[in-house]
Amino acid sequence: MNDRQWEYERLITPIEDRMMRAVWRISRDPDDADDAFQEALLTVWKRWDRVRRHPNPHALVLHICINAAHDVLRRKVRQGKWLEAGALPEDIPDSSSSTLQDISGAEQSAHVLRAIGLLSKNQARAILMHVVEDIPYGDIAAAMDCRESTVRKHVARARARLRTLLAQQEEPSHA
Amino acid sequence: MHDDMDEMIRKATQVEVPPDVEDRLRRRLTEFRTSVEQRPQNHRPALRVMAMAAALLVVVAVGLVLIPKQSSASKVYAAAAAQLRSSQSLEYTIVLNATPYVAVEISFLAPGFRRINCSWGIEVRNDGTTGKQIALFHATRNYVVEGGKQVESSDDFLEQLRSLPQAADEVLGEQRAGDKTLIGYRLHQAPPNTGIQGLTAFDIWVDAATREAHHVDITIQEEGKPTHQMHIQNIRSGAQIDRSMFDLTPPAGYTAIVPPASSPAPAQNKWDLRAEIVQTGALAAVVMPMSGSYLQTPAALQQVEAYLKARGVTPVGPPLGRYWSEQHWETGYPVPPGIQAEAPFQVVSLPAGLAASVVLNNPWGKNSDSNWRWGAFLKSVIEQGYQPAGPATEIWSGEDARESTQSTEMRMPVTRAN
Repeated sequence: MNDRQWEYERLITPIEDRMMRAVWRISRDPDDADDAFQEALLTVWKRWDRVRRHPNPHALVLHICINAAHDVLRRKVRQGKWLEAGALPEDIPDSSSSTLQDISGAEQSAHVLRAIGLLSKNQARAILMHVVEDIPYGDIAAAMDCRESTVRKHVARARARLRTLLAQQEEPSHA
Repeated sequence: MHDDMDEMIRKATQVEVPPDVEDRLRRRLTEFRTSVEQRPQNHRPALRVMAMAAALLVVVAVGLVLIPKQSSASKVYAAAAAQLRSSQSLEYTIVLNATPYVAVEISFLAPGFRRINCSWGIEVRNDGTTGKQIALFHATRNYVVEGGKQVESSDDFLEQLRSLPQAADEVLGEQRAGDKTLIGYRLHQAPPNTGIQGLTAFDIWVDAATREAHHVDITIQEEGKPTHQMHIQNIRSGAQIDRSMFDLTPPAGYTAIVPPASSPAPAQNKWDLRAEIVQTGALAAVVMPMSGSYLQTPAALQQVEAYLKARGVTPVGPPLGRYWSEQHWETGYPVPPGIQAEAPFQVVSLPAGLAASVVLNNPWGKNSDSNWRWGAFLKSVIEQGYQPAGPATEIWSGEDARESTQSTEMRMPVTRAN
């Protein structure tokens, strides 16, 4: 095994599944996921030397994946294509007793993701890494190249902003 | 409170990757892994950073000072050219001649997989990451595996689209193609490294909506030759490509051709083989209609020879073979006019007329390169402004026992291309 093969085994192989999940969870469209994943891999390729010297390369690579997927989400939301596109391609059973709950769950997921698409880049990426990928604040800070306290602020502001956005989204349906 | 919001986010995002999507992403990972493993070691990072910084400064300076603001039309071209340059995958077809149809399909997949599939039955798969390639001769179900070589023609063809300049020389206007609006751009010079001689126009038509290259019309006018047009079509950039099409494993039922280690390949093996356009006389021949492997040729010729000998007929020339396909070919001897033959033998007429011809002074048995030779032959015919008008014919001269006397004439009836 040469150096590059060893580097790949060390840096990428252990998190391949997480990388794919991280992109899919946010993009939720096969073509978008493919585009985002390619974009992420291209970024990793360009920053390979930085990745291999990074104190937490896995967090950095996942950060890059989340960035790419969030860019796709953000673009779709801003172009008004998120809900128009039918949003989430999850199977919703027709005849089960939980149909309404499932629809409600799918709608809620769409709303949450749309709201995440409206967050600032730093807020979205910080909260996605912390809540969805379960990455510790210290590692997120290293990946985002900022202080841990800054990450905490991004996450806190993201939560507050999401609450506001989700409340705004719910209002018309209750009227 | 935080927990509620976090839980809502988790619920919204806790989904598994569908198998079909996972397949697609895993293929990306495989490509990426290959790219990483082929990545050169960076021994001088400091210098590299400085060089990159310097290059960036130059780019910024040029961008700010020298490049005029682009029109929207030129942006459409620039987007198409940039996409072709950077695309991870690229497929298209070069139509060298429309009637009869002579074309080459090109496929490229990053980091270095290439495939050319010629309409005359040759396919070459090249793995640029390892320098290995396999050439498949579908007509004869043979293959040759080679290492450490690049496919010159494939590189040339590929470069035509992957090395487009950033700006076109001329905007040709719009044309409709179905429901698409295409904008045409003309390059006055061939893109670098393409090997195109005598280029008059390289017109690339771009879909105005998607900014993707739709097709290319290439006009070639070499001195003393008729104008020739080629077309690049079915352009697919960034599409998913089945990796198996670059597989270097020989297909089942194909047998290996092992070139003689001692003798170098003759010069005529190369794409520079040039056919001469000649006037040929009419010829009658007694032949054996054949189907299947061309390796039956010597046995078939022996039967024809024995038949003629039994009939007291003396051949008036060396043996020949005519080939329409592996399912339809014939071999036999030219005979005096008026000779009759019984089944399974047949009398055929080779009419007088214009033909392309080249004589290769090589032993007959060294036919491992026959498909390459015919590919080069056909290319030469088309480049000279002619088109095939009959079957490929080989005429074998010389003595059985003396290889040094043996030669093969490649001949094909042709007509002038319009």
